[in-house]
Amino acid sequence: MNVFHTDFLAAFIAGSLLDLLRTKQAYLDPGSGSYLLQLLIAGLLGGAFAIRASWGKIKNFFRRKSNSEEEISSDDEQS
Amino acid sequence: MTNSHKHAASFRDPSGFLFQRKGTLYRQVNEVYRQDYDRLIESGLYQSLLEDRLLLRHEEVDVPPAEKAGAYKIIQPERLRFVSYPYEWCFGQLKDAALTTLEIQKRAMQFDMSLKDCSAYNIQFHDGRPVFIDTLSFEQYRVGEPWTAYRQFCQHFLAPLALMALRDIRLNQLLRVYIDGIPLDLASNLLPGRTKLNFGLLSHIHLHAASQKHYADKTVDKKSVTRRMSRISFLGLIDSLERLVNKLEWGTVKTEWGDYYDSTHNYTATALEHKRRIVQDFIERIHPGNVWDLGANVGYFSRLASDAQIPTLAFDIDPLAVELNYRSVKTNGERCLLPLLLDLTNPSPDLGWNNEEREAFIKRGPTDAILALALIHHMAIANNVPLVMLAEFFQELGSWLVLEFVPKSDPQVQRLLATREDIFPEYAKESLEEIFGEYFTIVESVKVNESERTMYLMQRKMGS
Repeated sequence: MNVFHTDFLAAFIAGSLLDLLRTKQAYLDPGSGSYLLQLLIAGLLGGAFAIRASWGKIKNFFRRKSNSEEEISSDDEQS
Repeated sequence: MTNSHKHAASFRDPSGFLFQRKGTLYRQVNEVYRQDYDRLIESGLYQSLLEDRLLLRHEEVDVPPAEKAGAYKIIQPERLRFVSYPYEWCFGQLKDAALTTLEIQKRAMQFDMSLKDCSAYNIQFHDGRPVFIDTLSFEQYRVGEPWTAYRQFCQHFLAPLALMALRDIRLNQLLRVYIDGIPLDLASNLLPGRTKLNFGLLSHIHLHAASQKHYADKTVDKKSVTRRMSRISFLGLIDSLERLVNKLEWGTVKTEWGDYYDSTHNYTATALEHKRRIVQDFIERIHPGNVWDLGANVGYFSRLASDAQIPTLAFDIDPLAVELNYRSVKTNGERCLLPLLLDLTNPSPDLGWNNEEREAFIKRGPTDAILALALIHHMAIANNVPLVMLAEFFQELGSWLVLEFVPKSDPQVQRLLATREDIFPEYAKESLEEIFGEYFTIVESVKVNESERTMYLMQRKMGS
């Protein structure tokens, strides 16, 4: 399991780096390292943030399924 | 000419600059910034930030620009009582400055705007809390673009905070050497290796430094980079930085405000109470507009002034004392007290371009009243500063002086002299009065009960 994830991650990173290195020409200010790093980890950061933001909803989803009858009546009161 | 004087640190951003005219500070907003400025105001972002005291208030004024060409508007920012710099802040102050900056970035994005720079010098302490002062730092948020200010945030805030929390509290002094924040490769070298196991520090410091180094001598055309940064990724970046900064703690702070002072002084309860009453009385008689407490420790005596709503600065060389003092300011919501780090034997110098961007400590004076309590023996004995030079120094710094003389018979001075030769024949009450008498009028002197110490109230002599 872990090995699979590590390999996948390594491949993802290697692929992204190759992607970026293929770019060429012109001039960019010394912030290019910062600029490109953000693009590289953007996916990870966005994914983690999205999960964290919806964590409450995910937990609620599973909780509702197990206490279905009690939840329905308390929901009615709230709405 | 318009008799205006451009601020020495305000030249990098073409959007505008600060200038002084007849003692008032103004900000010229240039035409190139018109759209972003109007958006800042009209979108409601400005008002939103004001409501939470995150941004310094300003007024649009009808005065001539300092530079007519390209001028759009002139604004007058609310006046700050004192300008302090990141290398003078304790850990907690720098951390709060970082969190305030990130909070502002998050808020800006709700209004489709973003910070284009993240210098720690964009934050000042106002009424006890960090506020953002650079009104022209906001730009329109363009989806797909990474954060322009990311590098600056990591160098100005993240690197010093991580170094202070995880390596040594004194490493914030590197900010005095590196005025655009600590270089990330240096921070990466200095941080413990185990920090590479933390995703946030790995990404934002170590990989960031590696990426900077990798692309340092390469040219990359932004237009041919096809990868984009979505809004959610951007928010994820800010969130990642915020969680990381929140987690950084200075482990040494386990003691309490009161306990720290109690464990460092050796007055009896009677002596302490008497000294307190004397200082209170002196302050009431001076009735100063502001006070600088030098060697303030946790601010026990500083609060005699600040609690009376007198704007007070509490300086100390000890990072723990300043930290505890600041935490107390926050807990109590105090508005008139600003604790700061200061080594009086080596105070902040003039820094930056032309040595003019950041002002030396002494130039930010003078003050109405100086408190020099339990201080003079550290200067004169431990640091060999002759009394006459101390007198000259205090005279330049303030109109009134509340001085506590700690004689050689006092246990603290005994400790300082324990392992060295006593080369201080002039360090005695009589010669102190004579030497200081050249620079000050000694209005009153009171011996502290149950102590060997003497409190003096002195007024500066003009023209000496």
